[in-house]
Amino acid sequence: MSGFSARQLAPVIGLVVGLTLGLVYAWIITPVELVNTYPALLRTDHRQDWARLAALSYVADGNLGRARARLEGLKHEDVASAIQVLIEEYAAAGRPADTLRSLTTLAKALDVHTPAMLVYLYTPTSSSPAYASEPSLTPTPTPTARLSSLKSHTPTPHASSPLATPTRKPTRTPRPPTPTPLPLPPFQLAQQEQICKSGQTPHIEVVVRDEHGAGLAGVEVWLMWPGGADRAMTGLKPQSGAGYADFNAERGVPGSVNYSLGIGELGMPLVTDLRIAFCPPKKGKEPLLGSWRIVLERRPSETE
Amino acid sequence: MRERAQRWVMQATAGAVVGLAMGLAVGWWLWPVQYTNTAPAVLRQDYRDDYVVMVAAAYEVEGDLGQARERLILLDPEEPAAPVTELAERLVEASGSVQDITRLARLAWALGAITPTLTPYLEGQP
Repeated sequence: MSGFSARQLAPVIGLVVGLTLGLVYAWIITPVELVNTYPALLRTDHRQDWARLAALSYVADGNLGRARARLEGLKHEDVASAIQVLIEEYAAAGRPADTLRSLTTLAKALDVHTPAMLVYLYTPTSSSPAYASEPSLTPTPTPTARLSSLKSHTPTPHASSPLATPTRKPTRTPRPPTPTPLPLPPFQLAQQEQICKSGQTPHIEVVVRDEHGAGLAGVEVWLMWPGGADRAMTGLKPQSGAGYADFNAERGVPGSVNYSLGIGELGMPLVTDLRIAFCPPKKGKEPLLGSWRIVLERRPSETE
Repeated sequence: MRERAQRWVMQATAGAVVGLAMGLAVGWWLWPVQYTNTAPAVLRQDYRDDYVVMVAAAYEVEGDLGQARERLILLDPEEPAAPVTELAERLVEASGSVQDITRLARLAWALGAITPTLTPYLEGQP
């Protein structure tokens, strides 16, 4: 009986030993080589950087198909997180409105939402071309088409300066001027008051409201001064009201900088000769630099 | 007795050979080591190329050379500019996208690694 068991046991023992040796060899000694991976396998930070790079590339080339192909396979949460961070970071840094519009267009196409993008989604576009529907420069219309398909590029005769090669120039036919969804109406100065609070840094608060006095979010306000300009969007500080925006005004010697304030990228200044000045002196108190609070109101339309 | 022992050893050896084969099959094909948390350096070539093009595009948008260099170091710690020039020259040879080549050439120039092949793409650079 015992001889029979031993005979039966031999192949089993051999199998177990062999299997163990095989797995040790395959998993530990010579595991599958780590090459030819793809973006979805990247470490989380690299994955998010990949999504960020894809978004920035979209800003540069405006090729939505290419951006989608690059983001294919990544988890939606990774893409969403990277794009949200990018939009919020850019909005906070006051990056050009066109860049933010491109990013928000991409975000919308990818079903990514963040409060900061709302401002740019519903503001009129500037004269610069919108990229979303432009023909792509690189032939990567299919999601899987990548740079490895170099052969698929249409051969082009070479010139001394490829930048000047007419055949490879993208036919960037500027889109016909699109009707602006929300044309900025004319505004007028409704109120201008100096704010005198101790401990404040000189700044200019702007409140933009409609003809009924309700705050208007998403209005681009420009503060201009000789040799510079700054831009703010109303509504980015909701705790201060939908139509609120502010600017730091610590420039030069108090009173030496002459500011003007306008609405829209090419808007004419609505307030000029705005200077940071000392508040009326109070007995026994140190002189205080005042800030400004400007209220701009939309003119009632003629049809009303 | 000796014959029985010989048979036992033969059976065990046969089992071991079969087990080894099974182990290798499982370890290499059926259930290989799954890698996650990888770095851009081990991306497939086309993804690496795409990564380099995106770094160049991001540099065009952000103008942050330090950031571009940091990203390229992930591909080649010794010569971060090498993947840029190598890809740009490959694209030139394959009549690739002029826009991509121009971006790569600008980045290569900023990294101090411009090559004669790429110089014509630097229109407008000092």
